This record gives sequence, C-alpha cells and structure tokens, in this order.
Amino acid sequence: MHAIELVGLTKFYGKHRGIEDVEFSVASGEVFGFIGPNGAGKSTAIRTLLGLLKPTRGSARILGHDVDKEGVAARREVGYLPSEVDFYPEMSSRELLQYHADFYDVKDATERIEELATYFELALDRPIDDLSYGNKKKCAIIQAVLHKPKVLILDEPTGGLDPLMQNRFFELLESLNKQGTTIFFSSHILSEIQRMCDRAAIIRDGKITAIEDITSLLAKQMKKVRLVLDQEQKLTLPEGAQNHHETGSKHSFDYVGPTNALIAWLSAQSITDVTLTEPDLESIFMNYYQR
Amino acid sequence: MNRVLYFKELKRNRKNALIWGSIVVAFTFLILSIYPSFSEMGEQMTQLMSTLPEEYARAFGMDEGTWSSIIGFYATYYGIYITLLMGIFTASTGATIVGKEERDGTSEFLLTRPISRGTVVRTKFAVLGTLFLLVYSVQTLFAVLGMVIFGDQVEWSHVATMHVHGFVLVSFFTAAGVLMSAFLSPKLNYMGPVVGMIFGSFFIDAISKATERVSALGYISPYHYLQLQAEGGELTISAVPSAVLLILAGGMLAVAYNRYLTRDIVG
Repeated sequence: MHAIELVGLTKFYGKHRGIEDVEFSVASGEVFGFIGPNGAGKSTAIRTLLGLLKPTRGSARILGHDVDKEGVAARREVGYLPSEVDFYPEMSSRELLQYHADFYDVKDATERIEELATYFELALDRPIDDLSYGNKKKCAIIQAVLHKPKVLILDEPTGGLDPLMQNRFFELLESLNKQGTTIFFSSHILSEIQRMCDRAAIIRDGKITAIEDITSLLAKQMKKVRLVLDQEQKLTLPEGAQNHHETGSKHSFDYVGPTNALIAWLSAQSITDVTLTEPDLESIFMNYYQR
Repeated sequence: MNRVLYFKELKRNRKNALIWGSIVVAFTFLILSIYPSFSEMGEQMTQLMSTLPEEYARAFGMDEGTWSSIIGFYATYYGIYITLLMGIFTASTGATIVGKEERDGTSEFLLTRPISRGTVVRTKFAVLGTLFLLVYSVQTLFAVLGMVIFGDQVEWSHVATMHVHGFVLVSFFTAAGVLMSAFLSPKLNYMGPVVGMIFGSFFIDAISKATERVSALGYISPYHYLQLQAEGGELTISAVPSAVLLILAGGMLAVAYNRYLTRDIVG
C-alpha cells in the first residue's frame, strides 16, 4: 500500500486550471519532494490531498483512505505543516497545541509539547498574536509532528526559520523518517529537496512534468558559473557550457555536466575569483525541460 | 457533534455573548425600572398617547392603552429594541461562527484535523444555538424578575406570547445571518450587512404601516408576517406565519450547511 497516491487528480477553479491529471505515488517511509515555482499548483495539489479543495475529477488516497470519502480516517494519520501560518491569535501556543492534541487523543501531550517546545526554543505561554513569524512557524512544526503521524505533509516548511532552527528541523525530520514516517516535502528551494528527498515530482503549470530520483536530477542540474580571469583573454568553454557572457575579464555561463569535469576545467584557467551558484528552479526548467 | 470543538468554541465566544447578554439584560431591567414613574403619571400618559400621530402610533405599535400596564410598556421596548439587539447579536454570531474561520485562515487548521466538515458545521450550529438560548433565557429571566419587582399585575400569558414572537423573529434573523456568510465572500465584515438586514426589516415594516401608499413594502419584511394582536384582552400571534418563518429558518440553515460542505477552502 502506498502512503500517498494521486490518480488523475484535477482541480479547476471555474474555467481556471489549478492542477490537471496529477498522478504519482509515494511509498511508505519515503521522503518525496514536490518541486515547482510559485503558482505551479503545489499548494492546490496539497489542499486537494487534505480535503480543503474538492477535486474536479480524479482521486487521492492517504494510506489507502480516499481523502474525499474517508477524509477523517486519512487525516488522522497525517501531520500537516502549511506554508502560511494562520492560528487562533488569542490562544497561546500551549493552548493551541493542547487543542490540536485533543483532536487526536494524544496521551502524553503535555510532556511532548514541553519536549518539542524546548527543542525548538518556543515560548509556550505567549499569545500567538504576539509571536514573530519564525516562532509561529515553530508552533506549526510542533503541531504537525505532535501526534506522531505516519505521513507528514510539509508545504514550504522552512520559511521564517533561521539557519539554526532549519537545521534542527531537518534533524527532526531525519529522525522521524528513520522511525518510518513518510514525508511529502513541497518546496521551491532545491537545496532542501536535495538534502531531504529520495525522489521528487516536478510540477509546472498544474501538470507533472517529471518524477525523478534526486541523484538523477542532480546529475542533470545546471550550475551558474561566474569567474574573473587574471587578464582579458579568449576563453575556450568546457563541454556543457552555454549562455556565455563576457565583460572584459569577467565571464559567466551556465554549465550542465559532471561537476568533476568543471573543476578540472576551472583549475586549468588563470582565475582570480570564481563563484558557482545553484540555479533557481525556473532556470532548471528552462535549461532541462524546455529543451 | 465534536465535544472538543464545542467547548473550545463556547470559550472563544463567551466574551461576545457576555457583552451582548449584559447589554440586553441591562436594557431590559432599565426600561422596567422606569415603568413605576410612568404609571404614576397615569392619565397624563394616556392623553399623551392620544396626541401621537395615528401613523406614528401604528408604525411602532402604540395606542392609548399601550402604557397603561407594565406589559404594554415592556412590549413597546421589547418589539423595538430588544428583538433588534438580540437579532443583531445572534445573526452576527451566526454569520461569523463559521465564516470567521475562513476569513482568518484558521479553517485550514480546523479542517485538516480528523473531523469531518459536517461535524464541524453541526458543532458550530450547536454552539450558536447554545449561545442564542443562553442569552435569550437570561433576558427572559430578567424580564420576568423586572416585572415582578416593578409591575403591578402581570399577565404571564402575554409575556410568554411576546417572547415566543421574539424567539421566532430572532431565529429567522440568525438563520439569515448564517446563510449570508455561506454565500458572501469570507473577506467581508458581516456586521454591516447583518445590522442593515435587521434594521431594514424593522423600518420597512414600520413605514409600510405608517402610510397606505407604501403598504406593499411590508411584504418583504418578516415583521409584517409576525404581528402581535390584542383581541378581547388576549395577546396572540398567528401560528401559521410563525411556523412558516421557523421552517424558512430551518431551510436557510440546511442550505448554508450544504454550501459549507462543498465550499472550497482556498486559503
């Protein structure tokens, strides 16, 4: 049985397409990435998966439960971390987390809330309205994992977290995954997907354009290379370079190919400065999928 | 119904209910407490009433006999102010009790818990009903108490009829508030439309009674169908219009319920 299974899932808002024929499955215990630029349909797919949106056609299952017909059973197994955190402003984090725990009959809720709040350095007794966005996000993370769900659905999970907390969050996810939790990780930040995921689906304009192993995706990933030579000279670019721009001794180009080959080429040049940057997802689409 | 949600919602709405309940109770007690001063003026008040323009007196349900007893005195204020205040409280609570979750974005939190939408909406309706009955009962209790303290002879059957009349009207407005929120944008502040609906209904009915030329306007107001009638010393309301308004209120709740079950939560 798959942890998550989407079959021909389609959602139209009137005549406007949200997602169309989205189809993939996530195995139990897998960490699955869901990549796409803003507006590609990631949140629509997730909201349909959680029963917040009624699908126009198609179906979605979580641990075998149809999310439309057996939504309660499906959501009982799910922890959800939304991209935008909107909680009851008059409640404190402690009240909200206890309220959340009451829906799931969590036995040791008080201790677990304290334990997770200490881990994330969250003050539990301040009203949510007084918390910074980062602290609201920590509260959202805790509510997502508090009831020990079998499936975690994370939508742009690290927004608002400082690097230290991001690291703790990833460590927590790794630990939960080792205990068997399936993680569905939606993001437009490639480095997060690279760190966490085994496979990823790429969505663009509401449709799945590829489902890839992360290693295979990385092999095809483009790098942006910017370098400054010690003097102006004609440059013989390495194989896989494209979109070359030259301004005096400064050069920039996109590179697709083995990283070792690029490093070998760079070491043969007389360089005073070099930067290699991870391109945004849009660039990868442009580079890889639209060719 | 979900117990966790029910008690949390009661807690979240308690301050609002307490404020509105206090206003309605204070107003009830205040108007009853000033009745003894009016009754002492006896004949002068009867004469004053007879000088009121006929259209005005008809529009607001007053005649020479109106203020000759505490019931008549109370009825004037009950019909004009208390049903309006109660209606605004329950209809605005009805409009926001589900809709506010969507406006504030908290519906995403609630609807991703292991609880069906039907249960969420039914529980919210149960909370609304509880708040309505609570405020209504406390107001009735204080009205009775006020009449015992400040009144002379009280026709309890008249008090009961008056409060049934108020109950039907307020139930209708409450359901209309719920229906409104199910179809209007969740971003809207519902207080304006709610106050407009209730005051509009009241004044349309009053205007239609004041002059024959616009009497047809009254048909669009629920007040028109639910008149208190004094015949042979008995105060009555028609059973059929009351039943129809209650059935319509039930229908509005059913339509709103179904709308909420299928509504997309777009965030």
